Amino acid sequence: MPSPARRPLAVVLSDWIVAVAALLTPKAQRSDWKREWRAEIWHRWQFLWHARMWSRHEKLALVRGTLGAFQDAAWLLKSHEAFWQDVREWARSPFTCFGALGVLLLVTTMLSGGLPATRELLSARSNLLFIWIHPSGGGHDKGLPPDLVPAWERYSRQVAKVAAFQIGRAVADQPLLVTVQPEFFDVIGVKPALGTLPRQGAVVLDDRAWRSLTHANPAAAGSSLKVGGDSHKIAAVLPPNFWILSRQPTVYVVQREITKGLVFAVARPKPGVTQRQLDKELVRIAQEVCYYFLDSQLRYAAWTNVLLTPLRLFGIAVALAGLMAPLVFRFRLRAFRLAATRRTLFFIAKATLALAWVFAACLELSRSESAILLGSKDPGDGPFLVWLYILGAMGVLFWAVADQRARCRVCLRLLAFPVRVGCPGCLLLDWSGTELFCSEGHGILHVPHMAPSWDEEDERWISLDESWQGLFASGK
Amino acid sequence: MSDSAKLSHTAALILQTVENGCSYGFDIMDETGLPSGTVYPALRRMESDGLIASQWEPEKKAQAEQRPVRKYYRVTREGLHVLEQSQKRYPLLAKLTSKSRR
Repeated sequence: MPSPARRPLAVVLSDWIVAVAALLTPKAQRSDWKREWRAEIWHRWQFLWHARMWSRHEKLALVRGTLGAFQDAAWLLKSHEAFWQDVREWARSPFTCFGALGVLLLVTTMLSGGLPATRELLSARSNLLFIWIHPSGGGHDKGLPPDLVPAWERYSRQVAKVAAFQIGRAVADQPLLVTVQPEFFDVIGVKPALGTLPRQGAVVLDDRAWRSLTHANPAAAGSSLKVGGDSHKIAAVLPPNFWILSRQPTVYVVQREITKGLVFAVARPKPGVTQRQLDKELVRIAQEVCYYFLDSQLRYAAWTNVLLTPLRLFGIAVALAGLMAPLVFRFRLRAFRLAATRRTLFFIAKATLALAWVFAACLELSRSESAILLGSKDPGDGPFLVWLYILGAMGVLFWAVADQRARCRVCLRLLAFPVRVGCPGCLLLDWSGTELFCSEGHGILHVPHMAPSWDEEDERWISLDESWQGLFASGK
Repeated sequence: MSDSAKLSHTAALILQTVENGCSYGFDIMDETGLPSGTVYPALRRMESDGLIASQWEPEKKAQAEQRPVRKYYRVTREGLHVLEQSQKRYPLLAKLTSKSRR
């Protein structure tokens, strides 16, 4: 039986699998390895062809059998000493440190869906103001009398828009209930994604509430919803990335006038109006409505400031960690000589990248808890992020210093080949510790098991000149 | 090989198959029923341990027959010694493989 003129698809595919798997094999063995596998495939095909057994089943069996080339190639790579030496050298490189931090940032970005909280913070531009009362005699923050906001709206020349809102009592596993005036949405500048904004007696859902309460029903507008014991008509659904008072699912109950209880105000001042001018006018109007006690008691929170709060908290955490560092580590000023500029730059770059990761990761992790507007009403919101930042900043600083000490003072590679010298229990007052070598032969680091009180320098670096480098494996 | 008695059953089976006359990877797969991802790494490990030796067939012969050159495996003297020990350890080993190719 003559051989076929063209190689069948199964053989071509098998050859292609071998070609891809060959990329894993060490270069020195690649050619022979490919030759062996391709010869096996060819002989297998020819044998089956001439034995008239070249069936569909055998074709599949050939391709399946060739897939084992990947395991074979992986085994060759694994048993190749030069490969492991390359891996070790790569792991010790200072660039790997940056690479690992980059990967961490990338993974965090992917897991969080593109760092939404961090991006929101970076693009914070708004002149929205939240207004409430903080008693000058101390005590908790509290709301404003409900008839004050209509007075501000009517008589103020410095406020472009103002609206009142009232936050309902938080109930576990229930959406946040906020009673708002119809103007509320106009003041904050949001347009509905579904339906139309109502004037009275209906509810508006934010995206998360729409997803959890109506299972993202696109025909939800117009249907009724039972919230807080009452049935309401859903008038509109807000856009997906919108949040203002909390990142929890929120239901806005629209009422033309809020007459019961205390309220908060959200205002948009006219351009160029300072907070001082605004306060002066709002207090004057309040006094005209017979509220004489408001002088220096009104509190303002700019929305931009609220968004930037995590940045301030992080600054505090880093400063705290920086203050604690001298208590834990002994820094020597001579480490910052001009000759050590490269090391110092490496330390700064490494710590900055790690701190950036901590900032973004903690912010994304605490996203639903970090809306700290009116934070003094709910002490659980702000401190969670503060503690995360303090722990994260301290962790980064400790790691950065420990990593820096474990690196060669010349090439910044991680030191290797630890050797224990001496025995602390056997040799009284004699030196005992661990010696670490630079794989490029730049020097040796002596790390004592116990730092004696009379010796200021707990670690000693001994530089080796070029004549030593031939002794080291990677010195070549 | 320092501790020949520790040859696994699979490795011993492959060694026995090579000794029986299956000199190529795909033949060993047919004979043992093991997948290629097991057979080839095992062959390479045993070769590095000196239990088997590989050799490319003469190029001229392959060229004359218009086919690619093939690499074949044979058991070394040390491999035979280890195989004997493995047969004592795994008594059914010889029965699992036929000697038909020999």
